[in-house]
Amino acid sequence: MKVLLLTGSPKGGRGVSFALGSALTSRLAAGGAAVEVTAVAAVLRSSEERHRLYRLADEADLVVVSFPLYVDQLPAPLVQTLELLADRRKGAMGMTPWPGPLVQKLVAVVQCGFPETAQCRPAVDIMRQFAKEAGFPWAGALALGMGGAVGGRSLAKPGGMLRNVVKALDIAAASLLEGGDVTPEAAALMAKPLMPRWLYHAAANWGFRRQLRRHGAGKKAFDRPCE
Amino acid sequence: MNVLVLDGGPRDARGASCRALAALAAAEARSMGHDVTAFELDGLAVKPCQGCFACWLKHPGVCAIEDDQERVLRAMATSDIQVWITPVTFGGYSPALKKALDRFIPNILPFFAVREGETHHPPRYERRRSLVVLGTLPAADEGAERIFHHLVGRNALNLGSVLTRSAVFRDGEGACSADRIGGMLRAAGEAI
Repeated sequence: MKVLLLTGSPKGGRGVSFALGSALTSRLAAGGAAVEVTAVAAVLRSSEERHRLYRLADEADLVVVSFPLYVDQLPAPLVQTLELLADRRKGAMGMTPWPGPLVQKLVAVVQCGFPETAQCRPAVDIMRQFAKEAGFPWAGALALGMGGAVGGRSLAKPGGMLRNVVKALDIAAASLLEGGDVTPEAAALMAKPLMPRWLYHAAANWGFRRQLRRHGAGKKAFDRPCE
Repeated sequence: MNVLVLDGGPRDARGASCRALAALAAAEARSMGHDVTAFELDGLAVKPCQGCFACWLKHPGVCAIEDDQERVLRAMATSDIQVWITPVTFGGYSPALKKALDRFIPNILPFFAVREGETHHPPRYERRRSLVVLGTLPAADEGAERIFHHLVGRNALNLGSVLTRSAVFRDGEGACSADRIGGMLRAAGEAI
């Protein structure tokens, strides 16, 4: 099985989105899949990387798109990259049509900083619509709220706050390796809150204040420079 | 009232419908006596958000990237009615509009607050504001339109819009839609 991981985060390999996407693809690799990785920032910066994306997408059996929620949906550079893939598929804008036939399944992995996983729904819907318009068979999505709590924590072993995330990744990977989709069980486990909402709010707001103070901006937090 | 029109259509032929809608919206708003600021976003030099959060945590309210988005941010902060126009892109917005919206976060605060039972960021600039979002599609697509309207509702909740209207026009249909757009702008203004 050939797998392509496309990272839609502007932070590339440093963010939570990449950590989640690569945690899924590393499980696929452990099951024998060959995994290639690219990021939207590189694709949009270099025509060489863009053509590498087209080639890898042509050759893959499974494309995993991993990204953070930005203003209720996909980050702009990811939308632009998906447009390129869809235009190529359709042979639009003077592009050479996709050689096809399209067999690549598409999986979305989305995470948001809000505690409510349901806030990821428009992003998942948009990814499913992209799959439909560009001709990729849709294999489901893993959506996670409280993404800020994942940080640099390990997604390799079960236990602790991320136990449901790890289980979800294990179950999804096993199903994908067998040619199936992301199962409802995996999606439901991934969607479970990592902690009570009040605790996440308290920790996040404390963290924001601490960082503001550390940067010497504690008294400027509510500044209104546009007025 | 201050009306901000953000045209997110591409500058090439594919953006013709968006340009027509933007011109109509601006003309209708002016005919109602509003002050109109309009941007063709695809023609601006706006880099994508880097997700660095410096606009929250290092120099609050000011983006780390210095480019044309500064003018857009200022107009967003002082607007009473915002009109967003975009080709419906997989049910969402065009890269040009989305880039401007991604770079909107200096205008909100980092802290979490609960609004309508969900977590959101409070606005940095307290102001009653309405939102009108117009999409264009070459042909009817029920699925894409449903996603689009749902997304607009989510954005409205996030931005604290007091009244929100959204509509999807077929390419070329906008030219005869002055009354419809005028009605949306009138309702948006009356709600403030």
